[in-house]
Amino acid sequence: MRDAPRQITLEEWDARYAELSAAGMQEPAYGGPLRRHVGEGDLRLLKLRYDNSAAALRLWNFLLTEEDRLHQARAEGGKIVGAMKDLGTVPVLAYSLPGVTAFYPDGAWWIPCIMEDSTGLLPIADSLGIDESFCPVRAMLGAFVTGGHFPRPDLLTCSVGATCDDFSAIAQRLDGMGYPILWWEIPSRRHPDPDEPKVRLPGGFLAPETQVGFVRAELERLRKALEELAGRRLTDDALSAGIRAANRVRRSLSQLRRLTYAAEICPLPALEMLVAEMLAIHFCSDRAEARVVLDQLLREVRERVQARKGLLPKAAARVFWVNPVADLRVMTLLEECGGRICGTDYLFCHALDRIPENLPPMEALARMALADPMVGPAADRAKRICRDILAFHAEALVISRIPGASHCAMEGEVIRDWVRSKVGLPVIEIEVPPLSDSYHSTLRTRLEALVEAVKERRKP
Amino acid sequence: MIYAGIDAGSRMIKAVLFDAERRQIMASGIMDQGVQQDELAQRLFEKLLRDHRLERRAVSGIVATGYGRHSVSFADTAVTEITCHAAGVRHHLPGARTITDIGGQDSKLMRLDAKGGVQDFDMNDRCAAGTGCFLEVVARRLGLSLQELGELAGRSVKPAAISSMCVVFAETEIVGLLAAGAAAEDIAAGVQAAIARRIASMAGRTLDSPIIFTGGVALVPGMRAALQTALAHPVVVAPEPQMTGALGAAILASRQ
Repeated sequence: MRDAPRQITLEEWDARYAELSAAGMQEPAYGGPLRRHVGEGDLRLLKLRYDNSAAALRLWNFLLTEEDRLHQARAEGGKIVGAMKDLGTVPVLAYSLPGVTAFYPDGAWWIPCIMEDSTGLLPIADSLGIDESFCPVRAMLGAFVTGGHFPRPDLLTCSVGATCDDFSAIAQRLDGMGYPILWWEIPSRRHPDPDEPKVRLPGGFLAPETQVGFVRAELERLRKALEELAGRRLTDDALSAGIRAANRVRRSLSQLRRLTYAAEICPLPALEMLVAEMLAIHFCSDRAEARVVLDQLLREVRERVQARKGLLPKAAARVFWVNPVADLRVMTLLEECGGRICGTDYLFCHALDRIPENLPPMEALARMALADPMVGPAADRAKRICRDILAFHAEALVISRIPGASHCAMEGEVIRDWVRSKVGLPVIEIEVPPLSDSYHSTLRTRLEALVEAVKERRKP
Repeated sequence: MIYAGIDAGSRMIKAVLFDAERRQIMASGIMDQGVQQDELAQRLFEKLLRDHRLERRAVSGIVATGYGRHSVSFADTAVTEITCHAAGVRHHLPGARTITDIGGQDSKLMRLDAKGGVQDFDMNDRCAAGTGCFLEVVARRLGLSLQELGELAGRSVKPAAISSMCVVFAETEIVGLLAAGAAAEDIAAGVQAAIARRIASMAGRTLDSPIIFTGGVALVPGMRAALQTALAHPVVVAPEPQMTGALGAAILASRQ
């Protein structure tokens, strides 16, 4: 930590970059000033506010150069796997094989926001019959059609079963357009019957042993496909090493979350934390670098916490946030309204848990996949949220609905009712479209009112 | 000491001067909202001062609320209408546990704790079907004022079944009903019931009584009864329901 933490605009980052460079900042090959990404079409960056640390700069540069890494992997003869509707399982398998890079095509849902729609990905999806009544992930269809964002994967995988209906529809449309998909089934996790052999999953849920066995068999199919792609066997030893490497990323993230969300004064903005948490599921196409990026952020946060320096007033309302937003500006809006993030469930919180290292690796991955809160009853997810709310001492809950995403249609109500009745916190539900500019004033009212309610409740 | 609350709503601007020692409203005023929100709010505030022969310096604090709260440059601070409605209702009716506020362009439902603070809230500002806008559309279609529409609804014996999902489609439904010879009073009552159902759907399963009705729509005859039927709970209209937000803002100004 060289300077006091601040949130700065892109314009201010220009001067800040010069200052840090002059002071001898070490940058990776993908480094450089943030503004260069605007020139590449990421217009939304002009409207965001960023943490002013070198660690945050590295995080942003890492995020915004993912496509470059994928193209480079292709140019170097590596194999590319697109792991769709996968919250942290297939990438662990893929990265255990040398020369294989996995990425997350679903992440294309952020492109229309980051580029302010300039790429026309959503109109392409519209023209393919996948209109705005579907989840914003439909932007992925446009990205495949234009080929302008990521190279065509050598293997496309997609989970199906207990996943969102609209995502399945989008992926089936993709399959029908000539992008063959290797489907694997994730069953709806159910509570074991009283006499049924059961397994405790990472994160605490229970599942019938038969369901774990089923998922393990599905993952074995994926393993075989990956072996064929890579032209070599994926041994248990290599997979165990891959799990340990993935756990190192998860460990860094867990520490970062614990430090940031538990700190008395918020040491890192919500926006940077959102981007950092996303690394848990796809590593931004480079697992080793993801860890370096996270460790640098962790050092920065640790120094800030030790120095009792942060970005927001100590009195900021401690808010737990459910579901990621399509429009990144909303995270900063919460802070402008007097809140700070203290705990999150961005749909993949199970990917923040450690994959068991004391089990055969495929069994461990099967348990991990089935631990996904999204594949079980909404009440399971609500219980985990309540537990985390208490752990991070959150004072309010925001459920951010994703327009068109069918897994959110009723889930929000279940979570809201659980949190209200079990933890007694104020809860609001908001809906954030990919570009929410015209909706900001009403979002602001909701968030400000939530913060006011928290502050009122603090009064003796 | 005197404090002011300015509620810059979507349709009207409301202002209240509050005497903090006597805990009572000294004066209140209302005017149409417009593009120059700050100027209009200033004009209303100055008129109130003038009418009561007060100097600007006699007012110790000003809080702005409403959707245009951040445009009121002469306010000391801005507080959301949700918090202000709670404070305003608590002043008149300390035992209130639920507030439903239906304004021109949005509707809200607030749950209060035993101290009168906001425990939780829901808000509809994306669909006109649960707001006063629906009534305006229908009144215009029938060539009536809102007051006349409400009085007409009171004469209905068989309210028409009207969709509560979309004002645009509902207007088409109304044209169809009129063409089919439905009575205007039944249509008016049907629209009130549709708005009330929308609020009930936002309220969900659990509601604590008493429910206090605030906002301009509370003044429309028949709306309280429609809401009471839809919510299946007694509903009480707040005193001067249009002024609740401004009153709450003035009270909060006195606490700052």
